[in-house]
Amino acid sequence: MSDKEYKPVTVDKPIPNTFDLGNLATFDPNPLDNTKLNNEEEKEKHLTEVTRDNVQLLINQILSLPLKTTTDTHGSSTGQDSTMTLVQLPEPTTLLPREKSIPKEKPLTRWQQFALRKGIRSKAKDGKMVYDEETGEWVPKWGYKGKNKEMDNQWLVELNANTKNTEEELIDPRTLKRAERKKLIKKNELQHKRNLKNRA
Amino acid sequence: MIRTIKPKNARSKRALAKKEARLIENTKTALFVPGSTSNKFLHDAMVDLMALKKPDIKKFTKKNEIRPFEDPSTLEFFSEKNDTSLMVFSSHNKKRPNTLIFTRFFNHKIYDMIELSIQQNHKLLEEFKKITFTVGLKPMFTFNGPAFDNHPVFQHLKSLFLDFFRGEETDLQDVAGLQYIIALSTGEIEDPNSSTLPLLHFRVYKLKSYKSGEKVPRIEIDEIGPRLDFKIGRRLTPAPELEKEAFMKPKQLQAKEKKNVSTDFMGDKVAQIHVGNQDLGKLQTRKMKGLKAKYDQDSEEEVFENDEIEIDEDEEMSEYESANDN
Repeated sequence: MSDKEYKPVTVDKPIPNTFDLGNLATFDPNPLDNTKLNNEEEKEKHLTEVTRDNVQLLINQILSLPLKTTTDTHGSSTGQDSTMTLVQLPEPTTLLPREKSIPKEKPLTRWQQFALRKGIRSKAKDGKMVYDEETGEWVPKWGYKGKNKEMDNQWLVELNANTKNTEEELIDPRTLKRAERKKLIKKNELQHKRNLKNRA
Repeated sequence: MIRTIKPKNARSKRALAKKEARLIENTKTALFVPGSTSNKFLHDAMVDLMALKKPDIKKFTKKNEIRPFEDPSTLEFFSEKNDTSLMVFSSHNKKRPNTLIFTRFFNHKIYDMIELSIQQNHKLLEEFKKITFTVGLKPMFTFNGPAFDNHPVFQHLKSLFLDFFRGEETDLQDVAGLQYIIALSTGEIEDPNSSTLPLLHFRVYKLKSYKSGEKVPRIEIDEIGPRLDFKIGRRLTPAPELEKEAFMKPKQLQAKEKKNVSTDFMGDKVAQIHVGNQDLGKLQTRKMKGLKAKYDQDSEEEVFENDEIEIDEDEEMSEYESANDN
């Protein structure tokens, strides 16, 4: 085959185009012919010609970017592998307005401030379940049938030595334990509220 | 304004969290609102624009009695309620026939607004009877004419159309996905002082590639529509402070400057390494019993006071202490 059969892939422009390949866009600074644009017959032809040249330039630019070939089962219902050629696009250069303002960083809670000052690192999470050696089962640390409620439905409970000779001596230790738990929850809620207030 | 509610269950909490501002933002969603004076043609035109914008669209079917340039509060409410930051509003009257108002929002408040009247020579997708668009494909753009670089109104239009149709932001583009191009063209501005601006020509073409005997294919294009010529009408621009805030780039996403690493003219990576001062006093030389610290000239007296000479280095301190006690 001779070269003459093919139309050229190069385009000559008086002023070269600029590109924003991140947005797959090209900007042609060459003015369009107003007389052709005002003429109904020539208008569409002129627009198409100009656009074709610019598309050719844009495609030339895009295909000169680094390519990446991947083998993926990409959305095919037959499950057959197909290779995809991906173009690695650069960052977009045309600045566009954001949709919402940049999210503000949340201020540290009191505990986080304290931990930072003292250099305390947060413990790795070891899950909600804990092993109960008596029954040989995994039970939740808190919540429904939680480990911290163990005492609640035991028929015999040891008295706490600390409550001896105080006014709490005659109160059921189960009730005391429960009240203590409820108090902790209240305290935590208060702290949470205070942190929220400081954040606002 | 929508009253701020405290989420009562996990689902509403998730829904609210979805609306929150994010560092890396989602693709902007467009809301299509027919005005009270909208007509069949405007409806069809909006359907075509929707086809290009899918899947990031929401549309209203009922007509709305709104005048965006007079009172945009209803539009702002719609934007907040539907979490959309782009809006197309249609209206038709004698002074401004077949008009689409393109609005952008920032934080659910009007950012900018432009009125575009569709001229009579329009041709919609239906009339072209060509293919329809594949949902979610990223289009290519070409902006023909110098006005897009230097005229504020056309810069606005460039930013608007890029923002509107560009779809998902990505760094990897499938070559097979380069299927259609949105071409925006405008004639030369003959008289820069006159207020009449040239028309904006909105065209969409499908790409056809042919063998060229080279690596890059020869491209031909085929118009698939919609074909719309817009006359530019009223316009609302953002306040400078708002513009500044909208264009802010989050610090967290900016790449950290790498110090002391550079590439030389051969393309090799060159780095400069800073090493602290070396303490020659701690240099490990040959190990010998006689060179141990306790045999140093300074501590000579102590050594002789203490009869035990052979002490392990670890026990040295305790030995000294006991010596002092004696």
